[in-house]
Amino acid sequence: MERLRRGRRHGGPVIALAGNPNVGKSTIFNRLTGLHVTTAHYPGTTVEVAVGTANLDGVRATVVDLPGSYGLGAASEDQLAARRALLEARPDVVIVILDATNLARNLYLTLELLDLGLPVVVALNLMDEAGRAGIQTNVKRLSEALGVPVIPTVAHRGVGVRALLAAAVQEAEAASGSDGAGPRRGRGHHGRHGRVGRGWQHRQGRQPPAPHYGADVEAWTDGPLAALEATRHEWAPEGLSTRGLVILLLERDEEVWALARGSAAGQDILQRVEVLERDLGRMLRQPPALVIAGARHGLAASIAAHCQRRMPLGRRLRDQLWRYATATATGIPIAMAVMAGLFAFLYYVGGFLSTQFDRLWGASASPVLDAVTRFLLPGQAADVLLWGIDAGINASLAIGIPYVLTFYFLLAILEDTGYLSAVAFLSDSVMRRLGLQGRALVPLISGAGCNVPAVIGTRILSSRRERIIASTLVVLTPCSARTAVIMGSAARFIGVGPAVAILGVATLLMVGTGFALNKLLPGRPGELIMEVFPPRRPPLRTVVVKTWVRFKDFVVQAAPIVIVGSLIMGLLYETDTIWRLTDPLSPVVEGWLGLPAVAGLALVFGILRKELALQFLVALALIEYGGDVDNLRLFMDPRQIFVFALVTTIYFPCIATAAVLGRELGWRSAGAIMALSIGLAVLVGGVANQVLLRV
Amino acid sequence: MTTAAVEEYLAVAFRLQEEEAPVTVAALAQRLSLSHASVSLMVKRLVQEELLGRQEGDLRLTAEGERRAAEVVRRHRLAERFLFDVLGLAWDDVHDEAGRWEHVLSPAVEERLDGVVGRPESCPHGHPIPGREAALPVELHALSSLEVGERAVVVQVRREETTLLRYLASLGLLPGARVLVEQVAPFGGPLLVRLGSARYALGRDMAGQILVRKGAR
Repeated sequence: MERLRRGRRHGGPVIALAGNPNVGKSTIFNRLTGLHVTTAHYPGTTVEVAVGTANLDGVRATVVDLPGSYGLGAASEDQLAARRALLEARPDVVIVILDATNLARNLYLTLELLDLGLPVVVALNLMDEAGRAGIQTNVKRLSEALGVPVIPTVAHRGVGVRALLAAAVQEAEAASGSDGAGPRRGRGHHGRHGRVGRGWQHRQGRQPPAPHYGADVEAWTDGPLAALEATRHEWAPEGLSTRGLVILLLERDEEVWALARGSAAGQDILQRVEVLERDLGRMLRQPPALVIAGARHGLAASIAAHCQRRMPLGRRLRDQLWRYATATATGIPIAMAVMAGLFAFLYYVGGFLSTQFDRLWGASASPVLDAVTRFLLPGQAADVLLWGIDAGINASLAIGIPYVLTFYFLLAILEDTGYLSAVAFLSDSVMRRLGLQGRALVPLISGAGCNVPAVIGTRILSSRRERIIASTLVVLTPCSARTAVIMGSAARFIGVGPAVAILGVATLLMVGTGFALNKLLPGRPGELIMEVFPPRRPPLRTVVVKTWVRFKDFVVQAAPIVIVGSLIMGLLYETDTIWRLTDPLSPVVEGWLGLPAVAGLALVFGILRKELALQFLVALALIEYGGDVDNLRLFMDPRQIFVFALVTTIYFPCIATAAVLGRELGWRSAGAIMALSIGLAVLVGGVANQVLLRV
Repeated sequence: MTTAAVEEYLAVAFRLQEEEAPVTVAALAQRLSLSHASVSLMVKRLVQEELLGRQEGDLRLTAEGERRAAEVVRRHRLAERFLFDVLGLAWDDVHDEAGRWEHVLSPAVEERLDGVVGRPESCPHGHPIPGREAALPVELHALSSLEVGERAVVVQVRREETTLLRYLASLGLLPGARVLVEQVAPFGGPLLVRLGSARYALGRDMAGQILVRKGAR
């Protein structure tokens, strides 16, 4: 929101983008703003708000991308966040983006915005798709019916975006009265002459047109209106029309009610509203909130019918594809194949890229950093610093580029093609037992590649409870680095069987933790109500921009933590302080887990990067025992190798994962998750040790 | 005095009573856009026929008057439903049009019409359709009990939380919404329900709370 304040100081208009999910809103946002985007989590929610700047012939407009939502009532987290952001941003104009292929449902949000008295410009998007589906829209009629400008757009090709920005800027100027105090010319007035438009009131001056729901609904809003007009300044938020406030009150909007309770004048209004509500409830036998919603849908449907014509088309390939993706018999094999592909891509391609990157870094950046640092600093200080700037930056990028970048590219494709919703539909019943929704399958599968993007990927879940459960399970999922440790220790020195056993134990632990958390955490998994989108070709440009923004976020926010962590490790190692940890760790490492002391220290270093745990084990053993210790069997027996690999698989995520956990969930929850994983690792490792000692 | 005219008067009186507004010659004259003189003449004859009575100075429908009025209003509101839902007439046009239909529908046609529009509770403007209580009891099913390919009309959402109702409402899942079950996910998973051009996945529990009437277009 800081960006907003700055934007306002520049004097340019503030434009808010609103729309249902999956209507091409972010594509329009990206087209308008380019790469100059910052994202912010909306306080208290998991919902993101992105802010950017658009230029039109020297006018700098600040563009706020509201979360996609079906309405503005306080009916769900996304709707609430959209409404709050809208009220807080106090936009000069709202661009509402409509899906031309589903006009009636989309108009509901438009009518809500008009109800609130906000100046609106409509972007009628996906015109190309509507054309292919045999839907023709009379744009002029729609504009007349709504009394606001309507700009047809094909966002992924950039068609109409400039015209949209121009219309929005013009509307913002008109609404703020900078073109003179007189009534606005043109738009709005059409409304009176249109067929549907007869139902539209247009007030003179700055007021945007208000939808008219027929005499019954309108009669109610008049009642408390007069009293409200006089006293609203005492409690009501600015920027809303009085009529909009009345409708919100009748809709039993908790936030507005809470505001009204805060003042005497507001309480008086509430009493009037309650009387009105009782009368209406008796007369219409339905709560007014539902009657208003019904009236809005009715009006939306009649406007859509008035402005669109549908040509009957044969069954289309797209519908057929979509049917295959959601039907049980075909959908489950498809989902398994896609998830396997996702896993394989992250595991093999990500792993390959990561190794190549390490090699490249070692060959090019490392020597340079090494030479420069040693030239500037004396011996030991340079050694410590190199841990941070060489190993630390290497670690951030070696996760960031191969894993975060590729994962986000894949996730964005899954999301934008609409396939994510099909997976979520099919896997919901299974995921529900773990306290999650179907969508959580994607981060969980990705976690087997790398935990870092998987934790960030839990953003697609809607409640905090689900994000905590999903993140915990992700952290317990053996990522490719941990699998590499299992392969390099257990599989190599004691056989494939024990290696598989370790993966089995980890999986059981993950599922068990899911069950337990679902039982223990307060609340229940939210009931599923989700739109399943038709398949759509992903707009490449949006996918690339989205991926880039996420990657930048990761590097900027996680890299410092990884670098500081690396420096601390460097200090411990280079000053030999690490060896002092031997004694305090001894009861757990040597006593309970039955591991040699060096293995305990290797586990500590594994925090930096899990695949390094093994390298550290070898390096420390070299110092401790000397000679050729590349073969773990020389200083560890099979039981110890098994326990070491098992504990490495379960305990504490690496620093990069810790960094994203802390950032995504807050440090308290992140700390709890990490403590849980350490506790489980010590418990399971110890039990394994004790059991193996006895057989 | 034509039947249509009598029905018109009774219907207006019925609506006034519904709104808990006093039924007076002035109110009737205003609603019917007729002169006081002709309205008071007509009222006198309706009182003679014991369709209207006087009560504390105001007029009031008698039991017989109310029964006949309810029939007219019922036909009117059913016609509005049909014109709006099936023929897709504009919201604000259906009232006038239905005003012509209300006098000519035979009981048989009225019954068919009721079936076609899915035995609605209310007219498109939200007014209750009289006589619903007397109508044949409709068999309600939980949406979750429907099979793939079945069509239904939402009658009621068996839940009290306003936030949930409002969320459903913002999606258009309101009483009167026509839905088609397109898929049912395995292992007690969600249902995929088509509503207009949109498809929604609804959890089994959620769908169990939505009561529907099977069939209907």
